Amino acid sequence: MVSFAGVLLAGLLLGGIYSLVAIGLNLIFGVIRVVNFAQGEFVMLGMYATVVAYTVLHTDPYLALVVVFPLLFVFGMAVQRFILQPLQNEPMMQIFATFGLLLLLQNVVLAITGGTSVSIQTPVSGLTVAAGPLQVSVARVVALVAVSVVAVGLQWGLRHTMAGKAVRAVAQDRRAARLMGIDVERTYMLTFGFGAGLAGVAGALLTPIFTLTPQIGGNFILAAFAVVVLGGLGSVWGAYIGGFLIGITEAFAGFYLDPALKQAIWFAIFILVLVVRPTGLFGLAGAEEMGLRVQE
Amino acid sequence: MKAATRVRRFSDELPLLGAVLAALAAAVLLEAGNNFALNILATTFLMAGLATAWNVIGGFGGQFSLCHGVFFAEGAYLTANLVLHWGISPWLSLLPAALLGAATAFAISWPAFRLRGPFFAIATMTFSEVVYVLANYFDGVTGGSQGIRVPFRAGWINMIFPSRIAYAWIMLGFLLFCLAASLYLLRSRLGYYLQAVRDNEAAAQAAGIDVLRTKLWCFGISAGMTAIGGSLFMMYVRVVDPPTLLTLADVGVRFALIALIGGVGTGYGPLLGALLVVPLEAWLRAALSASLPGSNLVILGAVLILAALFFRQGLAGALTGLFARRRAAPA
Repeated sequence: MVSFAGVLLAGLLLGGIYSLVAIGLNLIFGVIRVVNFAQGEFVMLGMYATVVAYTVLHTDPYLALVVVFPLLFVFGMAVQRFILQPLQNEPMMQIFATFGLLLLLQNVVLAITGGTSVSIQTPVSGLTVAAGPLQVSVARVVALVAVSVVAVGLQWGLRHTMAGKAVRAVAQDRRAARLMGIDVERTYMLTFGFGAGLAGVAGALLTPIFTLTPQIGGNFILAAFAVVVLGGLGSVWGAYIGGFLIGITEAFAGFYLDPALKQAIWFAIFILVLVVRPTGLFGLAGAEEMGLRVQE
Repeated sequence: MKAATRVRRFSDELPLLGAVLAALAAAVLLEAGNNFALNILATTFLMAGLATAWNVIGGFGGQFSLCHGVFFAEGAYLTANLVLHWGISPWLSLLPAALLGAATAFAISWPAFRLRGPFFAIATMTFSEVVYVLANYFDGVTGGSQGIRVPFRAGWINMIFPSRIAYAWIMLGFLLFCLAASLYLLRSRLGYYLQAVRDNEAAAQAAGIDVLRTKLWCFGISAGMTAIGGSLFMMYVRVVDPPTLLTLADVGVRFALIALIGGVGTGYGPLLGALLVVPLEAWLRAALSASLPGSNLVILGAVLILAALFFRQGLAGALTGLFARRRAAPA
């Protein structure tokens, strides 16, 4: 018999996953102001890279992080430099390009794996731990802890490191940042790389939880958009808390209504937020135009 | 001193439209009897019409809609239901389909058009995904994941024909309708309002244009045309299911891709794009899909990226550029 607390817990853990995927998207969206439709595919690539590391090198997924992050960081930098930078002032072409990237990545992996789904069994994979009367999946708790660490780290990095300050400056006013001597293109590359790297980290952490198919990116991308909008464009805490809110809402809707309707939930939240409070919970007015805001 | 160029009107477009129509009709006649070629032609005309419809809001309006699959699906499902459950001729379902599509567009316009740029794309994409799930869910109306099937009963009233040539003519008619409507809109007051909104929304609003109404009407027109295309598609293939109608890669993005390759925002761009993309894709699918699953989509994705980077003006842009250079001789 599933209790209220059980559903709440499931929602929290699910939310942790969504936050993990959304934090990278939020960074990219908030700073570079480009919609990266391919973010879900970066997660998918991270997952498959982890699987390869596991089967070939026998590394535990949580250790594979160390390799997956730089791999996707470099990939992200390349995407920004060669695909998005030439399209800087053409939002419609950016949408075409990132959507094309989505199709390309998804189907390259499909062609390579031949469409069979993959899952790996790590020491963590089926492990549950008792929390009172409920059984909790350890892998999901790890994901939740990880996203908290990432959020805190990112917030700190943005506020206290020179690179972070450069990122915020570029997000606030690109021209002024350039006049101050900040290399805007390099900052964009770093940001996109970081966003892609975070997606890869999310992928690595999620590998013990999911059965992988090339289409798995699609499961996350729409929820991630809903999270980013709900939390407020550009706000790290917004993405963090927004993920939990969406996860909890989805869990309850799935329990009381129908699990098949989760896309409708994301859409409803998305539209509701944009109509009622377009800046999201933690964004500031005009955040969608003004980019990243770190809570002072 | 040169005479002032006057504003182009719809009547100026008619000669070229007639010539294009004649050329395409000649192609149909040439291939009469070759069912395979006629199938390709019919599909090309249908996609060209649908891309033209998308172009109205996507190209002229600058609003990147990823939910045109929804209108397409509405047309198909409505026609199927009217034919199967009410015994109504598909021809009579075309107008209701257009109205349903337009009504849906109006309904989602109010929240969707409050969103700037990329948010609109995300919202429409999410809407499309939601409808996909709903189409699987409400299987009373849509046949669920099994899909819905219109049995073969040949006859003019049923819009079902044993040979492909009738379909080729029907699709050509649809293309003509879409082109004419799109060109008429382009040269009308509403069309100029729409382009003004696309080019600079703030300035358009300051000039007194009702931005929301303009976008709303054009979105509705675009949706209506797409829904009619969906109805015709239903009668052409006679069996559809949610993936056929609503998968973004196969439907929603495909219209946009064709418009992009042909030339977003131009009158004939989508037609040129379809003439290139549809036969090419059919060939690719035949040549590659057997060996590597999904490889035709790999190519599609790569083409999208490359086209966005290097081929922004599309075929139409490249062609007009060619002509402009020749015409630019000193007076």
